Amino acid sequence: MNERKAAAYRRGLMTLLILAALTAVEYGVGVTLTDPRVVLFLIALLKAAVIVQSFMHIYRLWREESHE
Amino acid sequence: MSAATAHHDEAHGHEPSYAQQTKSNRLGLWLFFFSELFLFGALFAARFALWGNTRPELSQVLGLIVTSILLVSGYFMYRAEVAIAHDDRKTFLSSLLAAAFLGIVFFVGVVILEWNVFGLELNAFGVEWFGRLKPRDGVYGGVFFAMTGMHALHVLSGVILILFVWNNGRKGHFSPEQHWGVEATALYWHYVDVIWVFFYPALYLIGHLA
Amino acid sequence: MGTGKIILTSSFTRGIIGQAVFAALGIAFINVIRAALGLEATLEPGVVFGALISVIGFLLGAGVFTDWIKWIGGQKTPLRHGTPAGKPEWSRYLNVDYNHKVIGIQYGITSVIILLVGGIFAITFRLELAQPGMQFLDNDAYNTLFSGHGIVMIASILLGVGAMVNYLVPLMIGAPDMAFPRLNAFSYWVAVPSAILILAGMAVGGWDTGWVAYPPLSLRAPLGVQLFLLGFYMNGFSSIAGAINLLVTVATMRAKGMSLFRMPIFVWAAIATALIQFTATQTVGVSLTMAVAERVIGLNFFDPVGGGNPLLYQHLFWFYSHPVVYVFVLPGLGVISELLPVFSRKPLFGYKWIALSSLGIALLGFLVWAHHMFVAGMPNSLRYAFMLSTMFVAIPTGVKFFSWVGTMWEGKLSFETPMLFVLGAISVFLIGGVTGPILANVPTDLHLHDTYWIVGHFHATMFGGFIFPFFAALYYWFPKITGRMYKESLGKLHFWLMTPAFWVMSLGQMSAGIMGMRRRIADYDPALGVANTQMLVTIAGLVIGWSVLIMVYNLVSSARSQEMAAMNPWRSRSPEWQIPSPVPEFNYDVPFEVVGDPYDYGLSDSEYIRMMPAPSGD
Repeated sequence: MNERKAAAYRRGLMTLLILAALTAVEYGVGVTLTDPRVVLFLIALLKAAVIVQSFMHIYRLWREESHE
Repeated sequence: MSAATAHHDEAHGHEPSYAQQTKSNRLGLWLFFFSELFLFGALFAARFALWGNTRPELSQVLGLIVTSILLVSGYFMYRAEVAIAHDDRKTFLSSLLAAAFLGIVFFVGVVILEWNVFGLELNAFGVEWFGRLKPRDGVYGGVFFAMTGMHALHVLSGVILILFVWNNGRKGHFSPEQHWGVEATALYWHYVDVIWVFFYPALYLIGHLA
Repeated sequence: MGTGKIILTSSFTRGIIGQAVFAALGIAFINVIRAALGLEATLEPGVVFGALISVIGFLLGAGVFTDWIKWIGGQKTPLRHGTPAGKPEWSRYLNVDYNHKVIGIQYGITSVIILLVGGIFAITFRLELAQPGMQFLDNDAYNTLFSGHGIVMIASILLGVGAMVNYLVPLMIGAPDMAFPRLNAFSYWVAVPSAILILAGMAVGGWDTGWVAYPPLSLRAPLGVQLFLLGFYMNGFSSIAGAINLLVTVATMRAKGMSLFRMPIFVWAAIATALIQFTATQTVGVSLTMAVAERVIGLNFFDPVGGGNPLLYQHLFWFYSHPVVYVFVLPGLGVISELLPVFSRKPLFGYKWIALSSLGIALLGFLVWAHHMFVAGMPNSLRYAFMLSTMFVAIPTGVKFFSWVGTMWEGKLSFETPMLFVLGAISVFLIGGVTGPILANVPTDLHLHDTYWIVGHFHATMFGGFIFPFFAALYYWFPKITGRMYKESLGKLHFWLMTPAFWVMSLGQMSAGIMGMRRRIADYDPALGVANTQMLVTIAGLVIGWSVLIMVYNLVSSARSQEMAAMNPWRSRSPEWQIPSPVPEFNYDVPFEVVGDPYDYGLSDSEYIRMMPAPSGD
């Protein structure tokens, strides 16, 4: 039980680090490229996908109950 | 409930079980998110229709800071949900408070600093800490205040929800098996985060300075 | 408890008091703040804020939020069931009730009342239009009346859709209730203060923008437009919440064995409707909010003076308001498909095609919005694209027509009132349908835009797609709802007055349009040569109005009669007709199992549903 809990916390922290890294890339791209529209939109999609998958557990919609 | 639960003693047999109701709730909440996607999508589209490939001058540092704060707040919300699922009430309550606190910081950052509702001025560490854009500054003011305003409204309601959940959690109302209230609030909070993921580049990074 | 006391303590009365109190508080609050900040005293910000929170006041007063507030405090609240102790059964309809059948009936009655209000508006300005010259209305009153007619009728139709969907869908899929009964009550009750706001807007100066409220005109219109925009906006909550509720209900609560293609066809129409409602409604909400904000706070979106773009409003507005046309007609078309096999005693022709054509119409509906804007100054390339996509709508609609003809072909038709209205609906919808492609075509649309041709066209689609099928549904399910039978002779009289009158009205409007009669105008030049047509249209409108009153009389008086109707007077195979009327509190005492296809009328030994054996130890 405690191991699973620790693993879950770690996953959350990993997700946060990924999001932070993507945000840093986003900022860098935004201030350097002259027309960053497409790149920024793709990065935003990626960030949204990470949140939807890891934080919002969208798979619970079609998978049976399991709390992780 | 129709075919599955055959027995019924007047009222109670017709009420779905907690697990079943949670399943319905979850689907309903996601449909609500999909619905809200059109609300924020319309604002997003309005930004590109009215600003095109330009943007107003905003403090980059401020934008990056509030964005980071919201992300970290999302992490604490995740922690709270994991904690209650493993019956770790102390972490649960403290994480909720952390998430709500950071949400308030985000809200204050937008309203007091970026909107500058009190009309202040401060230049420190080479950064303008108070925004200069006003609601009546043509389409730049209009779109900026509409997008941040609609988002801030959701942040505020999210914070209020988190505090309600914290209050009920304090009274011991949730359990590892039954905590739909926590899950729903967490989902909503992350959703607000997802919206900002798209709004942040649209407002701060895309386009030439007008 | 006396009748008077029940009415005075009902949710309705409490809600209206709550709305008035909160409106006054809101107005006072804003004006005190403005005075404290030393701003000049103006009416509008206070009125807007007051109107906004007055809806919350209504819902608090009515008691819609009571359970949810208790949940916030951590209390659990079991669902209330049945008639409250010591009160008569009818009091349920005046109070917040969680039963989907009660809510469906509340929707239905409100819809008909609002339909009559909108009808009175129409008849008033129709009388003005009967002759050239101004007789008894001035321009402002005319503008307010036709604008009010538009939005009030839309509210009525949305309520009517809610009535059919709420009452029928849980019964048809074998569920005891909707998935979220409290949200269901909210969906109904929030529509009431919204309608009050719109009507109040007509009282405080009205507005002259039509129901579309295009800026920049709406930015300069009288104060009434604010209440109209807010009422319209608030009504959106009803649509969104109702649609989400319906989708979850259908997804999770179907009876055993009821696969998607074994649902009654009306449920498919309800799904397609909900898909539009819960998405598109948000964008009109945004456009309305923006218009309100532009007026009150000065945020600039639409006014070209500040750099805004009025076309943006039209895009956001029609992104909802075109698909919403299908919200109005899809349930109606579903009723037609539902009733035809019953009165033809034959299987529904092409069940899957009908089911998918509803979805097809709903999805295509999202791709055609700019055909309302051919003259608004869009690039030509967009015109072609939207012309084509609009033409494509004729395909799924045509599928439905073929299926209806195929269903009736060689059937054993009988012509009771519901069937008559179904046939009337098909004839009228055909008029609306064939006049559509002419408007989808850019060259013809440039000439016909903003003429009475449009008025004739969309009234035919609304009547054929909603009003006629809605009346058919009222007659058809009346014995189910009340357990009594309506008077067949009055029903037939209603039909034979309304249908020819409608043909005259709609074709008359179109012919006046071709002659150059503009819409949304209080007066016209006698030299146009449309005066006789206008008189004819007015008389036809009056006949329609009277015929609807006959229906109201028929239904009200029949509901009070003592004579009970047969359990399944139409010999329908649908599950809701296999249980007693009126339906028991929890619908099905014994759950049923679906074992066959829904519309196998006339096929021997075919079974649709089978009641499960009664549970032991009951």
